[in-house]
Amino acid sequence: MSSLVLPGQPLGPSAKGSLGVYVDSNGVHRASLIGLFKPDKSIMIPKLRPNAPSENSIVIGTVMRLSSQQASLSITVVDGIALPHGEDYVGVIRQQDVRATEVDRVKLGDCFRGGDIVKGQVISIGDSRSYYISTARADLGVMFATSEAGNPMEPMSWEEMYSPRDGTREKRKVARPTTE
Amino acid sequence: MAQPSFDRRRVNGPEESFPPIFPDLPAEPLVTNGKRRDGRALNDVRPIFLQTGLISQANGSAYIETGNTKIACAVYAPRQLKNAQYSDVGRLNVEVKFAPFSSKIRRAHLRDVEDRSIGQLVYQSLLPAVQLHLFPKSSIDVFITIIENDGLESCVASASMAASTALADAGIEMLGMVVSCCSAINDDGIWLDPDTAEVKASRGTLLLAGLPALGTITNLWQAGQITSLDALRCIDACHERFKDLHDVVIDALMQSNRAKQAQALS
Repeated sequence: MSSLVLPGQPLGPSAKGSLGVYVDSNGVHRASLIGLFKPDKSIMIPKLRPNAPSENSIVIGTVMRLSSQQASLSITVVDGIALPHGEDYVGVIRQQDVRATEVDRVKLGDCFRGGDIVKGQVISIGDSRSYYISTARADLGVMFATSEAGNPMEPMSWEEMYSPRDGTREKRKVARPTTE
Repeated sequence: MAQPSFDRRRVNGPEESFPPIFPDLPAEPLVTNGKRRDGRALNDVRPIFLQTGLISQANGSAYIETGNTKIACAVYAPRQLKNAQYSDVGRLNVEVKFAPFSSKIRRAHLRDVEDRSIGQLVYQSLLPAVQLHLFPKSSIDVFITIIENDGLESCVASASMAASTALADAGIEMLGMVVSCCSAINDDGIWLDPDTAEVKASRGTLLLAGLPALGTITNLWQAGQITSLDALRCIDACHERFKDLHDVVIDALMQSNRAKQAQALS
């Protein structure tokens, strides 16, 4: 039987898991969030709370700015949970983090364009201004983009997208589509 | 007041005017037969109404009413720290605003010194309870609006409790729930949770905030003339009430959880 626990409530000494549980100065395990204390001694949070990006989280964002060294991203989804409107985090994809091979020969204009929706992984929480994002995996990269004429494009290969409406092909670092 | 010039472009008021004269009514005694004006005993706090989820666009929110004091609190967290400074722990920002119609004397629309000092007090009460080390490079923003103010110390106390409830509602990791109680000292004795008239009639006030789950104190604010012995007595009186206040906060959170579950099922 799971029971509701509130912050500060002492749990048994066998409480495990770091999420929602902390150990105070006397060694007592206590809850730090409102959640359900399951029989397997871990805490389940019923409400999906949007998180700040942390290392290795998968984020989805929109390309805001592009330069020859890096692409600046406005992160709107962290680990599958959408952030509230207006509260976006700023991420940066550096030239060396775009793909895994031939990192020094990357041309950012052939990988991203402004307005592209990109899926990436956080490699580090970075400095004061932005998180460092990487797309160096087959399933990371541009998920959705529009052609120069403004028509939506579909993925053709890992480096090309094609717009069926106007027939143009454009180069992007494309994410492999997943079934989910 | 004689008008110095007659302005032809405007509709002018009377040239001379005088303020109305109010008769001096006898002041209602604050204590009769050991009971205060609203029927409370000296060591009773006002009944508390606390509910979460008032402000849907915030990550967490709470509304508290004690007597005539009404306070709404919204929490937006975690958000990216807009400052240029990098920090590996989060920053807690508490902003308090008295609505212009909240007190007997109209307040300014912009935040003034009193708003900032109340905000600082609530910040001190909350800070030890929030696990900021889990929010690197993020800020936790707490916005408190005081809709009606009946007793400044009770505003601080109720605001701290509302903020703590809103933080729990937003899913921010905390060490425990913060509760807060205020007291005023007079020659009659110690009055808990004084309202504006009672504070005015007292010698000094003392506010205590803490985490009852851990048995720790997070803030103590004393104003006026209090001897050290009286201060210790006030602290004991406030501390005795912590358990009841904690029960109120817990009850509010459990009710809100039940309401959310009922909503999720429907």
